[in-house]
Amino acid sequence: MCFGPFPLHQTMASRKESAASGSSPLETPVKQIQIDGLVVLKIIKHYQEEGQGSEVVQGVLLGLVVEDSLEITNCFPFPQHTEDDVDFDEVQYQMEMMRSLRHVNIDHLHVGWYQSTYYGSFVSRALLDSQFSYQHAIEESVVLIYDPIKTAQGSLCLKAYRLTPKLMEICKEKDFSPEGLKKACIGFEIMFEEVPIVIKNSHLINVLLLDLQEKSTVADKHELLNLSSSNHLEKSLQLLMDRVDDMNQDIGKYNTYCRNLSKQQQQKQQYLQRRQQENTQRQSRGEPPLPEEDISKMFKPPQAPPRMDTLLIAGQVNNYCQNIKEFTSQNLGKLFMAEALQGHSS
Amino acid sequence: MSRFFATGSDSESEESSSADEITPKATGTTFNKPNKEAFTTNLILCCPLRFRFEELTNIIKTIRNAMKIRDMSKCLEEFEQLYRAFLKSKTIVDKEGVPQFYIRLLADLEDYLNQLWEDKEGKKKMNKNNAKALSTLRQKIRKYNKDFETEIASYKEVLNSSTNVISLCRCQDEESESDDDEDSEDWGSDSVDSGGESEDNEGAAASLAVVFLKKYKDGRRKRHKKIEQVEEEVDEDGEAEEGGWEKVKGGVPLVKEKPKMFAKGTEINSAVVIKKLTEILQARGKKGTDRAAQIELLHALSGISNENNLGQGILVKIKFNIIASLYDYNTNLAAFMKPEMWKKCLECIDELLDILFENNNIFIGENIAEDSENLAISDQPFRVRGCILTLVERMDEEFTKIMQNTDPHSQEYVDNLKDEGRVCGIIDRLLQYLESKGSTEEVCRIYLRRIMHTYYKFDYKAHRRSLGLQGETKSEQDQEESEGEDSAIIMDRLCKFIYAKDRTDRIRTCAILCHIYHHALHSRWYQARDLMLMSHLQDNIQHADPPVQILYNRTMVQLGICAFRQGMIKDAHNALLDIQSSGRAKELLGQGLLMRNMQERNAEQEKIEKRRQVPFHMHINLELLECVYLVSAMLLEIPYMAAHEFDARRRMISKQFHHQLRVGERQPLLGPPESMREHVVAASKAMKMGDWRTCHSFIINEKMNSKVWDLFPETQCVREMLVRKIQEESLRTYLFTYSSVYDSISMETLSEMFELELPTVHSIISKMIINEELMASLDQPTQTVVMHRTEPTSLQNMALQLAEKLGGLVENNERVFDLKQGVYGGYFNRGQYLAKIQLFEYLESEGAKKSQY
Repeated sequence: MCFGPFPLHQTMASRKESAASGSSPLETPVKQIQIDGLVVLKIIKHYQEEGQGSEVVQGVLLGLVVEDSLEITNCFPFPQHTEDDVDFDEVQYQMEMMRSLRHVNIDHLHVGWYQSTYYGSFVSRALLDSQFSYQHAIEESVVLIYDPIKTAQGSLCLKAYRLTPKLMEICKEKDFSPEGLKKACIGFEIMFEEVPIVIKNSHLINVLLLDLQEKSTVADKHELLNLSSSNHLEKSLQLLMDRVDDMNQDIGKYNTYCRNLSKQQQQKQQYLQRRQQENTQRQSRGEPPLPEEDISKMFKPPQAPPRMDTLLIAGQVNNYCQNIKEFTSQNLGKLFMAEALQGHSS
Repeated sequence: MSRFFATGSDSESEESSSADEITPKATGTTFNKPNKEAFTTNLILCCPLRFRFEELTNIIKTIRNAMKIRDMSKCLEEFEQLYRAFLKSKTIVDKEGVPQFYIRLLADLEDYLNQLWEDKEGKKKMNKNNAKALSTLRQKIRKYNKDFETEIASYKEVLNSSTNVISLCRCQDEESESDDDEDSEDWGSDSVDSGGESEDNEGAAASLAVVFLKKYKDGRRKRHKKIEQVEEEVDEDGEAEEGGWEKVKGGVPLVKEKPKMFAKGTEINSAVVIKKLTEILQARGKKGTDRAAQIELLHALSGISNENNLGQGILVKIKFNIIASLYDYNTNLAAFMKPEMWKKCLECIDELLDILFENNNIFIGENIAEDSENLAISDQPFRVRGCILTLVERMDEEFTKIMQNTDPHSQEYVDNLKDEGRVCGIIDRLLQYLESKGSTEEVCRIYLRRIMHTYYKFDYKAHRRSLGLQGETKSEQDQEESEGEDSAIIMDRLCKFIYAKDRTDRIRTCAILCHIYHHALHSRWYQARDLMLMSHLQDNIQHADPPVQILYNRTMVQLGICAFRQGMIKDAHNALLDIQSSGRAKELLGQGLLMRNMQERNAEQEKIEKRRQVPFHMHINLELLECVYLVSAMLLEIPYMAAHEFDARRRMISKQFHHQLRVGERQPLLGPPESMREHVVAASKAMKMGDWRTCHSFIINEKMNSKVWDLFPETQCVREMLVRKIQEESLRTYLFTYSSVYDSISMETLSEMFELELPTVHSIISKMIINEELMASLDQPTQTVVMHRTEPTSLQNMALQLAEKLGGLVENNERVFDLKQGVYGGYFNRGQYLAKIQLFEYLESEGAKKSQY
């Protein structure tokens, strides 16, 4: 569903120092995100033109950091290309694009990327890797997730996410073993942090919008009051179920691993005990004790299954649940409203 | 060889006669020369084609030279050349036969090499190159000589026998050769050659060398006369003493002498013939015995005994042995008889049966000892050892083998298959014979043979008769034929006899299976099924040997197809499930080997498996089989799928069918169906939507008719049954799939939609309601089905599924927790689960909301 990690150009790493020197690196560099209306419209337009169904569109966000808020002032889509044309140089394209934008005096600093989503399924390994490399190179970068389906239902859904510092640490060490994750005290709840978004328009645009609002008819907004729910819920449930299946499998794997581990531990213990007994016997007989042997060689611990995927699945499941919860509560409200209306009119 | 020519040339021409004088004295170096001259003079005169032979002889000469000086590498080199030269002259050889001198060289060379090989000391002394060449050459010649086995063998025999003669003549004839001692050696071997050749001349082989020899012989007669005289004397001596002629033949089967099987003037009586027969038989199975010649000999013997009216006993005995040696002809079990052998075999058996039928006083049996045989005395009943049943059984097996080894798509196969009638005829005759004379066991065995030739044939005559079409357009001959017994009655009679009398399990098992097969083939489903169930074969068939298992598989398949024709879809599916689900139907039915198993088995196993194959004319059409299976699976599976759409634990009825569906789904571009499978898949899709018309058009159309349905004997009935089934099952599927969108539906509409009569629709729906498949009730006055709407909606169904899955997840999670804590339970406080609980709450409340409206 997702494309691979979004490539970054080397020169961006050099910008890291300058950005880091501006604000202290310890606290979260971005507290708030301010998005230009233009960016929102461009993202929506991008999806409308290129994305369909479960297909995902991606692009680059441009902007700059002002104190503790990140201002995203422009963006450009990343072209979709098939695997066939090998010649296409993604990095080259980005650089070219940014250079051109600089020529027309537009913010050309890379501050993150955006991606569309299908029923809220975006928590994946690809996203994690790509966001990690972004955040690693440019500390303040964010990923904007745009949900076209919810937007089509009448409420714009755009969310900005960043990896938590803890997750950054783990990703840096690349230690996804159960122990590593345990030590880092990381759960699926604290993998991503959502950054509040503010959409900012210039006054002129605000005026235009107000003007348009006056002129628009009521019928344009009926999507918001749509009572049908089963279709959306069914899809979400289907996705949720798939994830739960994956989760189940992962747990099964982990379970076998745990069992194997404990079994081996037992064997090791037994072996050590026997060795000790023998040694005491030998001592009593006045013989030299048996030479030490490398136990870790004799009992190779079983390969631990990486837990990162499980975490991500859990995060995704959580995400689905949140979505469903939100959707259902909204719809319940609508239903009650409709009931009241019906009662009133009859 | 060359020496031989040297001597031969002496009288041939003037100039070589001088050389002749040198020859006996000077051995080794010079004696080749005249030979060549003789050759050239001859050859140039004779025929330009024969220049090939000259080439050969030249090479042979060099080889002989090399042999003399033990130059192995030279030998090898020359041998390779010789081989090539021989190949070149293939056309001539084909015409003229393999030249004697060539064979002689091969034999000599092999002997020589073996001799060298044995000589360990000498081998050590040899230099490396030579030793290497020796071993290569030895291997080569061994391999090569295999092609000429018979010729070499006969050559050696001749060599031996004539040496005998010579030694005989040496001791008897006091006045020895005029040549000196050294020469007499040569002379001896010379005469060996000549002896061989002279016999050759008398024999049939007319090789080129012989032509030569004839010429030289005239000149040589003077010298040769002496020996001939001796030989004659010996012969006379032999005749004077009783049975002396045996001495000359001396236990060695003298192939070349077959025309004079008995010395002239011998009074041919049965004792002599029997003696001769035993003598021939003694050579049987020995190495170096020419089997073809043995058959010839036996034939000649039978001719002789016939001529001399020695009585039927001997004739029967000889016939037995001819047939036996015909079977012996191929030492390899896998090889099959050559056509001419097979024809001969059939004729022999036919003749044997003729004799047996004509003469009631011949007793044959395996248990008659050789000593107690009575072949000659005609006033007592003849007693002959031998078992005609075994011979016929073997014949039947040979027939199967021939059919297995013939390309089933060739005209040859058809020709071979025509012999089936003869085989059946022989079996029938033997059956009659044994019914009057044989023991029960024998009768059982021959009955089984008869059954084996009957069970797989569809009795068209009986079929026609049952349809009442007899004699409508058929010719008189056909009518006559159709008056014969129904195969069903025959089968019944034979099988019942076996059930009652047989004491070996195997014959009974086979008979039962064949009986079932026959029933099934003729659509007598209930008889077939009852017999199958009564026999309890399903329980213990896995202990039977592979051929019986194959028969069992064939029977099951036929049973399934029969059930399908009768419209018992479920039974058909069950019967075919085992065979089809393995994906190895071809192998299980003995109709071919699977390629992918090739590496798993070795050549030996493969041979065994090949022998088990069923001949092509008995094959069950695999496509028909698969189609029947898939269609019955479709008729069962599609309604089932529709009924259990949301059931998480639903089982597949047929894995193979699902596999086909998946394959169909994976297709990127769906064109109109081509193959039988695609048709079924397309039909299944149509049926899923309850669209019986499309389904029908996919299952029954031109393509499918020609591929599958026309293969059934009562095509029309099957097609009608199929249409009906499709309509019914489509109706069920439709109701399962779309009942949720109806509040009520009129049965009349349904009956119109599916073109079924109202009562049928009524009965189907009633059945569904009774089985609690459809939550509805029938409203009698309005003839409508009123839905109760108690089935959960798809969303609710999904939620239920999810709940189930989550249950599993929790359980799994707790198990992990268990391992850590050693306590079970109490791990249910994470956020994600809470979210799900909220979801259920919502779903419930929404359901409540809906019911409020």
